[in-house]
Amino acid sequence: MELRAAIEVESTARRRRLDRAAGLLIGSGCPVCAATSWPPRAVCHRCGSPMDLERALPREGALLSFTKVWVPRPGLEAPYTLGQIEILDSIFFAHVRGLGAEARVPMTVALVVPGEEDEDEPVSFWFEPAAGAREDG
Amino acid sequence: MPEVEVAGVGLHPFGRFPDASLKDLARVAVLRALADAGLGTKDVEAVYSANAMAGLLQGQEQIRGQSVLREVGIENAPVVNVENACASGSTALNQAVMAIRAGACETVLAVGFEKMFVADRDASLNALESAADLDVIAGLGLQFTAIYAMRLRRWLDAGLLEPHHLEDVSVKSHFNGSLNPYAQHQKVFTAAEIAASRPIAEPLTLLMCSSICDGAAAVVLRRGDGPARAAAVRPRVAVRGSVGASGHTPAADLPSTPTVCADRAYEEAGVGPADIDVVEVHDAMAPGEILYYEQLGFCAADEAGHLLDSGATSLRGRLPVNPSGGLSSRGHPIGATGLAQVAELTWQLRGEAGSRQVEEPRLALAQNSGGWLQGEPAACNVHILERIEPWS
Repeated sequence: MELRAAIEVESTARRRRLDRAAGLLIGSGCPVCAATSWPPRAVCHRCGSPMDLERALPREGALLSFTKVWVPRPGLEAPYTLGQIEILDSIFFAHVRGLGAEARVPMTVALVVPGEEDEDEPVSFWFEPAAGAREDG
Repeated sequence: MPEVEVAGVGLHPFGRFPDASLKDLARVAVLRALADAGLGTKDVEAVYSANAMAGLLQGQEQIRGQSVLREVGIENAPVVNVENACASGSTALNQAVMAIRAGACETVLAVGFEKMFVADRDASLNALESAADLDVIAGLGLQFTAIYAMRLRRWLDAGLLEPHHLEDVSVKSHFNGSLNPYAQHQKVFTAAEIAASRPIAEPLTLLMCSSICDGAAAVVLRRGDGPARAAAVRPRVAVRGSVGASGHTPAADLPSTPTVCADRAYEEAGVGPADIDVVEVHDAMAPGEILYYEQLGFCAADEAGHLLDSGATSLRGRLPVNPSGGLSSRGHPIGATGLAQVAELTWQLRGEAGSRQVEEPRLALAQNSGGWLQGEPAACNVHILERIEPWS
């Protein structure tokens, strides 16, 4: 596919990042080298080819690291936990919940998407330890 | 390609200065650097001016450099405003080096200034948070304390570091800072005090972290084969390597951005990590220093804790790291930091660092990172400096 195909794609504001009904993140996928990215981007960071902007990512990924943050920020009560998530080869930061005191990384985590009626949720999704994930390393 | 020398360096002390404006901070640093070089304001042919936050914190979004330089009568010379988050200062220096190497100028000023203490602390935190792609991280509450914390946890959980390493390197940072009259924090702390200070982003505690800070730093560069100046009676310092890069999406088979920059800088300078005698690294959180031991090629990842334990990176060790106290103790006024590192290394190479002087260094390395993208720094620069005259 020619690079110019990425000129006239959906604007960043209109691209889906989350399929709430399916409970999945929507990223981009490269048809040439198979790289993925979340959130979706127009051109592949690995090989420079135009990307497919509607690539549903698996629900589970690896928690590469995490930290419990003790400094409150607007809309977020402290402490809250942030994690670095890897799904396929897409790496991004997200909120993480449900980690035990002895949690060790890497750990398998799963995406949680709250219902639309849950207006008090400060974030649109988070990750929790996957069923059967070991928390003791 | 012309040689590039560090002709002069100057700092405004780092800390909290409610009565000092951006112009006051920059004036002190610029005039000290010019005096150090034996030059006047009219000798400056071009300026690269670094600042990251004045748009958000002081409302001076545009022409920040031209505004502050009016105070010291620098006009007509082209002023390029540089914003590259915490790497703004070293990016300005890199651009100044290239201007001289290109043959466009003989004398170039790089200045960095930042005023982070403002009435609304949340405004400063919001400004810091903007050192990331807000389209991706807005609303997460992701401060750079958390970024460092997550990098360190990976090393802890992999068994590469023990918790005491985080405390020990912070003790070292505070000790070095206590010897630096320009430092924001000039107080020594024990490992127990550091561990007991309040948690910020686990495993980091307050006394491991840099804080909001005001300050400025300036470096005057000149072409090495230019006319002799009065200040040339001192040992001269040359820029042997000056390399910048943007970050990348991390992957297991890709080196970190600081590694990419360091490898290119070593190649440019014709040296290797074993040749380096003194180092300033971008430890926005003091324990981050340990991660750079591996990223800059000084040891393997599983040897980083041992390198610290051995005392090699202390002031009297074979490879002193952050003799200034680093970002956590000397202070981290964002736009000034990269140039403050070069000022410290210049003093060290000349033998002018006072009670924190390390033993007769010849080669020095400065690494300055800025912002973050998915865990990698968004910007990074590595500079390698060399003392030209041998120690007598």
